[in-house]
Amino acid sequence: MPAVKETIDQVKEIDLEKYKYGFETDIKSDKAPKGLSEDIVRFISAKKDEPEWMLEWRLDAYKRWLTMDEPDWAKLDYPKIDFNDIYFYSAPKSTPGPKSLDEVDPDLLETYKKLGIPLSEQAVLAGVEGAKIAVDAVFDSVSVVTTFREELAKSGIIFCSISEAIKEHPDLIKKYLGSVVPVTDNYYSTLNCAVFTDGSFVYIPKGVRCPMELSTYFRINEKNTGQFERTLIIAEEDTYVSYLEGCTAPMRDENQLHAAVVELVALENAEIKYSTVQNWYPGNKEGVGGIYNFVTKRGDCRGDNSKISWTQVETGSAITWKYPSCILRGDGSRGEFYSIAISNGYQQIDSGTKMIHLGKNTSSKVIAKGIAAGFSDNTYRGLISAHKKAKNARNFTQCDSLLIGDKCGAHTIPYIEAKNSSVIFEHEATTSKISDEQMFYCQQRGLNEEEAVALIVNGFVRDVLQHLPMEFMVETQKLINISLEGSVG
Amino acid sequence: MLEIRDLHVSVEDKEILKGVNLVIPKGEIHAIMGRNGSGKSTLSYVMAGKSGYEITKGEIILDGVNILDMEPNERASAGLFLAFQYPIEIPGVATMTFLKAAMNAQRKARGEEELSTPDFMREVKQAAKMLEIDNKMLKRALNVGFSGGEKKRAEILQMALLKPKMCVFDETDSGLDIDALRIVSQGVNALRDANRSMLVITHYQRLLNYIIPDVVHVFSNGKIVKSGDKSLALELEEKGYAQYDESAA
Amino acid sequence: MVIKLNKNEEILYQALLDADAISIAKNFRSVGLPTRRNESYHYSDLKMLLDNIGQIATTATSTGEFAFNIANSFQLQIVNGEVQILGDKPPSGVVISTSNGGMSEPNKDIIAQLNSALTKETLHIDVSENLETIIQVDRCFEGKAALHNDGVEIYIANNSSATIVEVFDGSSEEHLSNSASKLILGKNAKATHIMVDISSKKTRHLQTVQYEIEQGANLHSLIIHAGSSLARTQLFANFNGENAHADFAGLMLVDADRHSDITIDVAHKVPNTTSTENFKSVVRNQAKAIFQGKILVAKDAQKTDAAMMHQGLMLSDDAQILVKPELEIYADDVICGHGATCGELDENNLFYLMSRGIEREQAKAMLVRAFLAEIFDPITNEDLYDILAGIADDWLKE
Repeated sequence: MPAVKETIDQVKEIDLEKYKYGFETDIKSDKAPKGLSEDIVRFISAKKDEPEWMLEWRLDAYKRWLTMDEPDWAKLDYPKIDFNDIYFYSAPKSTPGPKSLDEVDPDLLETYKKLGIPLSEQAVLAGVEGAKIAVDAVFDSVSVVTTFREELAKSGIIFCSISEAIKEHPDLIKKYLGSVVPVTDNYYSTLNCAVFTDGSFVYIPKGVRCPMELSTYFRINEKNTGQFERTLIIAEEDTYVSYLEGCTAPMRDENQLHAAVVELVALENAEIKYSTVQNWYPGNKEGVGGIYNFVTKRGDCRGDNSKISWTQVETGSAITWKYPSCILRGDGSRGEFYSIAISNGYQQIDSGTKMIHLGKNTSSKVIAKGIAAGFSDNTYRGLISAHKKAKNARNFTQCDSLLIGDKCGAHTIPYIEAKNSSVIFEHEATTSKISDEQMFYCQQRGLNEEEAVALIVNGFVRDVLQHLPMEFMVETQKLINISLEGSVG
Repeated sequence: MLEIRDLHVSVEDKEILKGVNLVIPKGEIHAIMGRNGSGKSTLSYVMAGKSGYEITKGEIILDGVNILDMEPNERASAGLFLAFQYPIEIPGVATMTFLKAAMNAQRKARGEEELSTPDFMREVKQAAKMLEIDNKMLKRALNVGFSGGEKKRAEILQMALLKPKMCVFDETDSGLDIDALRIVSQGVNALRDANRSMLVITHYQRLLNYIIPDVVHVFSNGKIVKSGDKSLALELEEKGYAQYDESAA
Repeated sequence: MVIKLNKNEEILYQALLDADAISIAKNFRSVGLPTRRNESYHYSDLKMLLDNIGQIATTATSTGEFAFNIANSFQLQIVNGEVQILGDKPPSGVVISTSNGGMSEPNKDIIAQLNSALTKETLHIDVSENLETIIQVDRCFEGKAALHNDGVEIYIANNSSATIVEVFDGSSEEHLSNSASKLILGKNAKATHIMVDISSKKTRHLQTVQYEIEQGANLHSLIIHAGSSLARTQLFANFNGENAHADFAGLMLVDADRHSDITIDVAHKVPNTTSTENFKSVVRNQAKAIFQGKILVAKDAQKTDAAMMHQGLMLSDDAQILVKPELEIYADDVICGHGATCGELDENNLFYLMSRGIEREQAKAMLVRAFLAEIFDPITNEDLYDILAGIADDWLKE
């Protein structure tokens, strides 16, 4: 079994107690003053050289945000965020905007190299694996480089930073931005509308199957800096696109805020596959530091027979509040959510999905695997809802939790709403631990305790792993093992 | 007597039956043989009145009455019985409760009196004995936990109790070992009667060694392409269905 | 903090003041009736749903008639909140008494608090033997539409056992009854506790049930909603001693534009306890059935085994089933799971029955009864089985 061996080798390689991506890049940055005000919103918009209508949109969001309350329904416990102690804008000084690769600060390139992100097109082209991945790299508040743009442009695909898209493709932005996640959707998404700094924009024209994986890599570097990214993917009729997202941050003692909004629009017969490996700094063993990750991700299956599939691997962040969702509006549309959420140390995860069935013959599938270790709390929260007109809506949900140790918690809170009789919903959930028999069996065959746990956990999450793009699978298995370090013994 | 006239049936706009014509006189046993996917099972479901099939043309006449407009239960009361290829498991419905409900429903539809419990028990016991069905099986929920052979025997038991005029066996031999096949066939043969017609739908010739048909029909691509006596079954076994593919296309 | 009370809340607030329940009144003044912002009332916003709340019911006399007549039973009645002991003296091993005011140590939930503050008299049933006789308590609501509050506290002593049946049988007026039941199971005690709401379809029925389960005890609890325009039973169970087991079951039969809600909260606080939760709902017309279940496994409550299931059956297109089955688990060596399904009757099953000559309506009824079998099968008393299954049969025939 090569996969098993690989896992074991990876476990051995692990540099104990170390968040692999915890280094800091010493780079001069251009920051806005700390705190949040109308002036800061204007500052951000001005920095981005945005058109007037975009500034108006932001200011409107800011005014609405001021009237909103922070939600408290999630199973999360953290001190109140002081929004006046956060830098809402920080950009590497040398890079006022995305440029060609040759112009990017070598320190930045070095950072991404250390993170294992291929920013050099040649390197990828010459690579043995042969798989091409186009990357948009977002460093703190700005996109520093987007690769393979020309090649994508040949098929009419637009892949650029959202800041550029606002300037270059205002019609698309005006039509779609905020059309899936409305401005006042929730506290964090509204905040994002006011202060978002960068993110990726993807447009797949009618009839095009995107020839390579698209990917955005998010990195928070600066101290006390919030990252508010905004991603918008539009898949026109008869298209396919697979998009990957990765995130890391340096180790710091203070908590940092990340409040992103991702909107996906799938028109008739379009398919969007969105994969995330979230590995923000989770805080140290005592629960000091780490990213507060409040994310709103939603896909709108607007066209008939469209499909949106979310796959997420959540291993990082001190706090995760995230519910990638699908609105199944088009008849025959499909939504999928595959999730692995691993919490260790003092991490808290409250994550899940919403599948809103509106169209006829819509179907959805949810497979969520939660693994809690250490002193962490891991909650699956989901909503499956079929409205009156959603005839023949189908859902299958499976959520399984695994507890490692007796100081952690695993919780499942599904909401299931059937509002017409042709609905068939099936929901299953289990909670268990790794059985002594399984451990004994593995140990008898020569694995040590940690190896055995890694092996069993990898088996536990297998159903989800297989939905990740190949390039991510191995990386993810490794990540799972790292995340669970110190969870036994 | 059963008569099927120019029957055309579609499922989701795809035509499955393309003009079936078949006459089974009283007391005769006919067999339909064909490949998987040729539409044999569709024919049995359409006869019994399952929903989801669109009948675009044709008639099915049982003793002079077109049964196509009838509900499945009305067809059953009119004397049609389908032995299912995959009898359904219904947890919570006791087998005995079900048998009694079915027998009484048909009696009621025919204007007969309900069975008394002792009479009902006597009839069930007799039929069960013939099919080597033990009491334990009858105490379970309908088809729940039954083996493949037990399910098929339970189907024949129902047939024996309901005394239909027209019996349709849909792949009754599938999933049966040789002993079970023998018991099931004995049961069927015991119910052969001058007033009862039977239609045996099967993929293999094997079953027809036990239940000897009067007429054999070859089914291909949604219709009957050849009819003959029982030797046709042996010929099919030897030469296969391929020779009929073209004539049907 | 105070909120703006609506006219129904004003009535309740005034009633609390009149009852001299100052601290609860103060609390109520700040929260009012629960809304959907309160997670356990997510699908039953009582502020919206409860209207025309009447004044506190005045004394009435019993008609002397009981909803159920079970052989070998001891019957009690609570009429408009007042306990009425009719007929025979209690069987051996049973002490019946009453106390002034509401339940001791009510749950923190505001509806339970209202009940305890407004209840004038609590019925106590103390069982200290293995009782053959079934104890039946009927709640009756006489006279004009009013607000009813009552409470029953049952104590099953160590090594004793009993079957208790509570029946809620409202008149045709638009009553609101807020009832409470507490059942304490001593060490190795056994109880079957059945609650049936067959109130007329105008009545609003609220009940709070509290179980305290001690070491080695065994409980079978069954809730049936077959009446009331609004029925909501909230159940809180605490496992306080090891090696105890409980089966929680429930059935909601909901039609017209009725609203039925069973919300249960089972806390496994100590190691080595087991529970099953098995709930079913059948809805038709514009009815709504709601099931919210929560299993909490406390830290150190190792070897807990808890399995929760809700199955919903929808017989017509405008009906709704809303379900929230939660697990909250803080111990690792446990087996916990939940399942939830909802859908229509299986067409293939229906076709199979019909192909044997059974008419559609009868076939449907057979399948619905088969669906409900798991709920009734554990009832071993034949009279009781017939009565409860009969409620389902009657409902199906309506």
